[in-house]
Amino acid sequence: MDHFAAAMIAFGLALGGGAIGAAIGDGLVGNATIQGVARQPESRSQLQGIMFIIIGLVEGMYFINLAFGALFVFSIGK
Amino acid sequence: MIRYDDAPVNHPTIDLGCGSFCMINYDSVISSAIAIVVTIVVAILIARTLQPGRPGRPQALAEWLFSYVRRTATENAPDAPYVVPLAATLGFYILVANYLDFLPITLLPNVHPANTDVNQTAAMALVVFFAVNIYTIRIRGVGGYLHHLTRPTELPIWARVPFTLLNIIEEIAKPATLALRLFGNLLAGLLMIYVITLLLGNLPYLGWVLGPAALAVWKLFDVLFIGLIQAFIFMLLTMVYFGLAREGLEEGHQTH
Repeated sequence: MDHFAAAMIAFGLALGGGAIGAAIGDGLVGNATIQGVARQPESRSQLQGIMFIIIGLVEGMYFINLAFGALFVFSIGK
Repeated sequence: MIRYDDAPVNHPTIDLGCGSFCMINYDSVISSAIAIVVTIVVAILIARTLQPGRPGRPQALAEWLFSYVRRTATENAPDAPYVVPLAATLGFYILVANYLDFLPITLLPNVHPANTDVNQTAAMALVVFFAVNIYTIRIRGVGGYLHHLTRPTELPIWARVPFTLLNIIEEIAKPATLALRLFGNLLAGLLMIYVITLLLGNLPYLGWVLGPAALAVWKLFDVLFIGLIQAFIFMLLTMVYFGLAREGLEEGHQTH
């Protein structure tokens, strides 16, 4: 197997696994936000701000994966 | 019409011939220079037009942002006034550097959002790392710093050895994730722009309409949002790390 094919497979694995984790994390954040808003509707704007921060942090892990994957494919696998 | 000569991961470099620290990605230098000039000019313009009592719209926005940063920074690190300008500058500069995406970067050579080069985000993360660690040593002393590395400190000494290893890994992981999170988010946005230009750039007639439309949609829906959120997260985490350096310090003073 040449380098480029190996890098592509690694990229796909990294993207797939990272997407699962990021999606579960986003779902948990959304779940918690909906529950919070349902209990205290007046805290909606505050919770939304926190929700976006946490979503950014959770998806950060996925984008670290993506950066490494792009590094594999475009730099190392070339 | 649309330029797609190379993937955005590969930067054109000037090699000065003294090892890997002398390779200069000159496109990143140009991009960050643009971002720096824009940041400084906007900041000076806002500072020039400040007037008490009757704030205009930019002044109100700047005051709201600055008061938020000052409140959060003094909550986290009340004895370090330099955290406020550090965090505010980092946040505003990262925001401007991310929003360089709104320039027609597919037409301009050597311009990209400056944070899509890992050297730049790593430089900013290292600044934060050294500032936090020097601050920790200043408020705790060198012995206190080493003692803080072995937290949780209420355990006996033999039980703290694995925790020390974990704490050291955590200290190293902080700047690494800080740099790579920002880099990865912005690189994903730029890679998508690259892919759109690859897919639609050489369709004969349809691509001339669909390509710019897809680029505009992508930039409006992703870059606008992700750029703002990531700049904010970088700024917030800078202040939170200063707060973590003080963790447990107040209780220690109360018991002694």
